[in-house]
Amino acid sequence: MWGTFPMPYQVGVTIRAEVGADQVPPLRKWLADVARQGLAEPPFDFAHLRGVHFARFYLLEETADLEGKPIPASLVFMSDVDAPLRRHLAELVDVAGDGIDQAFGHCASYPGPGARRRARIGWLRRHQLRASAFYVNTLGRGLDQIRQEARLREVLENHLDQRDWAGRSAAEVRRDLQAYVAGRADLSWAREPPAPPPLPFRIREAVHKVAVPLALLLLSPALLAILPFWIVALRIAELQDRTEIKRPAQPQLDEIEAYEDFGPQNPYAVVGFLKPGRLRLLTTRAVQMATSYGTRHLFTHDSLAGVKTIHFARWVPLDGWRRMTFTSNYDGAVEAYNDDFITEIWWGLNAVFGGAVGYPPTRWLIWGGAKLEQPFKYTLRDHQVPVPAWYTAYPALTADNIENNARIRAGLGGDMSASQAEQWLSLL
Amino acid sequence: MAVTLDLDDIQGIIARGYSGLTHARFTVFGMGGPAAGSALLTWLLPRITTADKFSSDTATHVALTATGLRRLGLPERAAAGFSLEFLGGMATPNRSRFLGDTGKSDPDCWGWGAPGGPEVDGLVLLYARSADLLNERHAELMRRLDEVGARDVTVLNTLERLDREPFGFRDGISQPVVEGLPKAVRGQRSVAAGEFVLGYPNGYGQRTDRPLLPRSDDPGRLLPRDPGGSGAADLGRNGTYLVLRQLEQDVEGFWRYIGEATQGPDGSGDPAARAALAAKLVGRWQSGAPLVKAPERDDPSLATDNDFGYHHTDPLGLACPLGAHIRRANPRDSLDPQPGTSASLDVNGLHRLIRRGRSYGPGAGDGPRQATGIYFICLAANLSRQFEFVQHTWLNNPTFNGLYDDTDPVTGSRHDGGGTFTAPARPVRRRYRDLPQFVLIRGGAYFFLPGISALRYLAQLPGPVPSGPRTG
Repeated sequence: MWGTFPMPYQVGVTIRAEVGADQVPPLRKWLADVARQGLAEPPFDFAHLRGVHFARFYLLEETADLEGKPIPASLVFMSDVDAPLRRHLAELVDVAGDGIDQAFGHCASYPGPGARRRARIGWLRRHQLRASAFYVNTLGRGLDQIRQEARLREVLENHLDQRDWAGRSAAEVRRDLQAYVAGRADLSWAREPPAPPPLPFRIREAVHKVAVPLALLLLSPALLAILPFWIVALRIAELQDRTEIKRPAQPQLDEIEAYEDFGPQNPYAVVGFLKPGRLRLLTTRAVQMATSYGTRHLFTHDSLAGVKTIHFARWVPLDGWRRMTFTSNYDGAVEAYNDDFITEIWWGLNAVFGGAVGYPPTRWLIWGGAKLEQPFKYTLRDHQVPVPAWYTAYPALTADNIENNARIRAGLGGDMSASQAEQWLSLL
Repeated sequence: MAVTLDLDDIQGIIARGYSGLTHARFTVFGMGGPAAGSALLTWLLPRITTADKFSSDTATHVALTATGLRRLGLPERAAAGFSLEFLGGMATPNRSRFLGDTGKSDPDCWGWGAPGGPEVDGLVLLYARSADLLNERHAELMRRLDEVGARDVTVLNTLERLDREPFGFRDGISQPVVEGLPKAVRGQRSVAAGEFVLGYPNGYGQRTDRPLLPRSDDPGRLLPRDPGGSGAADLGRNGTYLVLRQLEQDVEGFWRYIGEATQGPDGSGDPAARAALAAKLVGRWQSGAPLVKAPERDDPSLATDNDFGYHHTDPLGLACPLGAHIRRANPRDSLDPQPGTSASLDVNGLHRLIRRGRSYGPGAGDGPRQATGIYFICLAANLSRQFEFVQHTWLNNPTFNGLYDDTDPVTGSRHDGGGTFTAPARPVRRRYRDLPQFVLIRGGAYFFLPGISALRYLAQLPGPVPSGPRTG
């Protein structure tokens, strides 16, 4: 039987607000201070907000678009949280309010600490940006579950350390562990599998999963008629691209690296302009729709098309689709991350980023691009933005660890053959 | 695809480790005066051993750091073609954190190579068949350094070459088979030449970035031209990067830990259990026999065996633990994508190193140093994807291959409370907690090991440009 409470699904919150030129230097300094203190403690106290897996602040510097129109600096806040969204926005003000006031106090439009709670929540809500695609490593695995299962593993590991198990069969050891868990009231939840997300969410997703292909099927005569023209037009555009690959400068790298590799996880953020023209825009939007469909329905457990090191990721169009930011919380170092991109999901990267200025040249949407190792790595690094203020709720756990913990819990109940019991014990 | 390497333009250390030249000494030097570097290189050039056929009693190699290249007068636009890791150096704070050079391994505690210490400009590797011959060559080098106004920052004396590293294990068994080198055997899986020699296709089928100069910078046509067809003068071709790190090994601490972890309830020692646990940490028995092939006891007939994978024979690590040293330094077919397939081996091939280290310890020299360890040397065309990746993502990664808190049990850095080592077993794994750190970093630097033409080019540079921006 499933546990009483449904497990939450996950949502990505993006809040972005303009920062006046005079406020950029103090904001930078503030971010550097926050980087030292972290976000877990007051004034943010993210450790006491419910369901926050990851959170971050980063600065997008003032720039000009491809036509030279200025784009002012802005502060971006992102969190990966358990639903409901309403609760999270309220807690940002109720629990993390002092920190949020400090952060967005650098933005002229922010109502300020003196303003009423509702005004501040309303401001956050209005400054939200919609992600065009949002990926969660394992859909429906909430923060409480991740923490509980990590605890369960620790308890079982420590229990195993207490005794000499020589001569016992795996099935006997498993029975012992089952009895041990059964005897601990604090682990009573572990005797049942985790509940799925709430029914309305599941119905909505199931409908979406079917409705999109159905709609495509209905539109297919028109789409198939357009397809050859679109492909040829895209190829022509690709051939006309003049790509300049820039190796990032050392000071730029120093700043990014200063916030990387303190533990097994890292925050990632890139931002870039989209190539001009309707064709590129339409292509990017279509690819984003496909990506969103993939992350919602196909890559919902343990792997993004073969890459198992990403906890959360999202793509957010900025400035009316003139720019795009991609962010993720991932395991390992950036070099390994990029190598995974090249060897595992080069086709996806090319489709998604091929429309971005500075990306190595692609061919027919998915070929080329990421396959050019050095230009690809340079350009990603060159478009990376430092993430000084970053919060992770489980800094020591990789996505792989979390999945392993879930399997340990899943194998506690039910019948197992001798070899299944052996396999299960090897998770510990 | 057959690749022909310009063996007579490649320094021989890439092709061979000189197992017959049992004596070696590495001299880390600073150039001092402006003309010193040029004079030193000019003197060294005819002495450098190439990768071509070799039958000498001595071998000599030279490598340069980024500061050394600048001191020789390499223009900034040319220097900028080198990798960022090389230009930045090994001992920046970000790099130290990344490499695990923290705590007692922090560059602040290094004997050489740390910022603030005497500047390291280059490295001369001397090998000889006998101690007398080595001393003779070394004395010659010292005289020359003195004459040109250069100075030795440190002289690294090595132990007469034994196949054992200081903990007592046979070392250097697994080396990549490099396409195009004499040792490559047809039909055997080899690694692309460009992974170890710049200017040739690498594991991705592309040429790794390297310094390419406008032709006008090479009026004497000393350098080969970019095989990519750009017409540029290729300063990188036939060269590679060389990593030198002084790894101090706590031999006594290592065996003390093994002894304590295996002693009986009455405190008695158990030599068989000791050997077995030590082998679990390493992944090979002391003889060199790999655990996947000799899981129960040492088998000296397998001492140099290198023909094995992990996934099909030992997916769970029951014979060779997932976290064992050799299973992390070279995971072979055990990692994603698709463990056990050639896809896994292909990705593994992107992270290989040629190792050329030698041991040191009491008896190696007359210096005050009584410590023991390895002067770890590896060669790779891409510092980031090869050396740094192996160091960070495989060896020092506590979550390597699904583990939780296990850095490399032999070489890994540990957090304050010590680390964990997990030895999978039936029915229940054995966990060793509070594993101490056995290896400390005592010095190190990144070098460029130029091809012979590149050396000739560097030797005739005019000396340092008086002003101009410097990066790194």
